[in-house]
Amino acid sequence: MVSQQPSIRCKPRTGNYTAMPDTPSKELADALFAVATKRDKKAFSYLFAYFSPKIKRFGIKQFNSEAQAMELVQETLTSVWRKAHLYNNDKGAATTWIYTVMRNASFDMLRKMKSNKEDNISEDIWPLVEQNENDAHEFSDHLEDKQIKGYLDKLPQAQRDVVRGVYFQDMSQEQLAEQLNIPVGTVKSRLRLALQKLRNEMGDKND
Amino acid sequence: MIKHHPTDALLTQYCNGTLPASLSVAVSIHIDMCSCCRDKVEAIEASNASEVFINNQEDFSEQIDLEDAGLLESIMLDDGIDEVYEVKKQEVSVNEQSYELPRALSRIAHSKFMQMGKLSRSRIALDDGALRSSLLHIAAGGEIPEHTHTGFELTLLLAGEFSDESGDYVAGDFMLLDGQHQHTPVTENGCLCYTVVSSALHFNKGLSKLLNPIGNLIY
Repeated sequence: MVSQQPSIRCKPRTGNYTAMPDTPSKELADALFAVATKRDKKAFSYLFAYFSPKIKRFGIKQFNSEAQAMELVQETLTSVWRKAHLYNNDKGAATTWIYTVMRNASFDMLRKMKSNKEDNISEDIWPLVEQNENDAHEFSDHLEDKQIKGYLDKLPQAQRDVVRGVYFQDMSQEQLAEQLNIPVGTVKSRLRLALQKLRNEMGDKND
Repeated sequence: MIKHHPTDALLTQYCNGTLPASLSVAVSIHIDMCSCCRDKVEAIEASNASEVFINNQEDFSEQIDLEDAGLLESIMLDDGIDEVYEVKKQEVSVNEQSYELPRALSRIAHSKFMQMGKLSRSRIALDDGALRSSLLHIAAGGEIPEHTHTGFELTLLLAGEFSDESGDYVAGDFMLLDGQHQHTPVTENGCLCYTVVSSALHFNKGLSKLLNPIGNLIY
C-alpha cells in the first residue's frame, strides 16, 4: 500500500472538480464568516444543519460505528465553532476548510483507536493556520526543568480542572463529567484543547 | 531543485487522512518545501470536500434528531475560541552542526542523538505501529553501507546533500524505496534526513554484513 515508487516529476494537475450549480457555497461561506466575526448562533445552526448529517455519514463509513460517527460530528463542529476565525476565505471554499477540520479530527480518532495515542498530532501534519516566518528560537534545555505545574497554570480554569481530574486525580472522563456537571463530550473537548495547548507550550521535550 | 516527489496515490492517502502518521509527517514536510505538491494537495482536498459535502447525492432528509439538537446547544454553550498560536522554531545540534527542524516536527518529541562514527540517529516519538521514524545525520564524508530493506524505507532529505547509485539529492527530495532496491548513500558535506522504515535494514556486502545486528540502531 505504501510501497509505491516515488514519482520523479511533479506534474501539476489540470483536471478541475466542478461544484453542483445549486450548491449554497456563498451562504456557507457567509455563515462561517458570521460565526468567526460575531459568534452568530443562527449562522452556526445553519452550518450545523447542513454539515452534521454529512459528517455523520462520512464517520459511519470511516469507523463503521454510529457512536464514533457522532463523536466525529461533535469533534468537527466544536472545532468549527471554536476555530472559525482561522478560516481564510482567500485560501479556498468554506466546505474545503470544514473538510480539513473533519479529516484532522478523524485522523486523531483513528490514531487513538489504533495505537491508543492521544497526542492529537493532526494539526502538526495539517496546520489550520499558516505559520509566519519568525525568528528562530534557540532550543533551550531549561524548558525541561520547569515544572509542568507552571504550564498548567497558564490554562483557562475550565481546562485546568479537566486535566487535574483526569491526570492527577485519576478520574474517568465520565466521573469528571458528573462531578463538574457538564456533558462527557465537553470534558473530552476541553481535555483535547488543554493537551494541545500544553504541547505547544512545552514544545519538543527533547528526550 | 527537488526532483523526487511523493506519488499521486500517496498524496491522495495523505489528504484522506489514511496514511500512517510517520509518512504523513514526511509528506507534510515535503509539501512545505514543494509548491507543486502543495498545489496538488489543495486540489485533492477541494475535490474530496465537494465529494463529501456538495456532490453527495445520498438522502439526508432524516436531518438532525433531538439528540443532535442537544449537541448543537452544548457546542454553542462554550463561548471560548482557540487562539492562534505560532509553532516555535526548534533547532537541533548534531555533530557540531545546527539545523532548524521542519515545522511538522517542532512539537513532536525526539530522543537524544546516538552516534556511531559518522552516523547519528535520533528516534522520533511517533509510536506508529511497525513504522519507525528518525532523524538521521550523516557527517561530512560519511556513508551508509550498501543495504536492502525487507519492507520499505523512506528518506526525506531535510538539509545538505547526498548521492547514491541513482544520482544526487537535494533538500526536499522524497525517496521511497522498497525491498528490491539497494543503495549506498554518501554525503560530501554532511546531511540531515527524516527517515521512516518498516523493518530492520539488511546489510549485504562483505565486512558490513557484520553490521546486520545493529541495523536496528542505525535507522
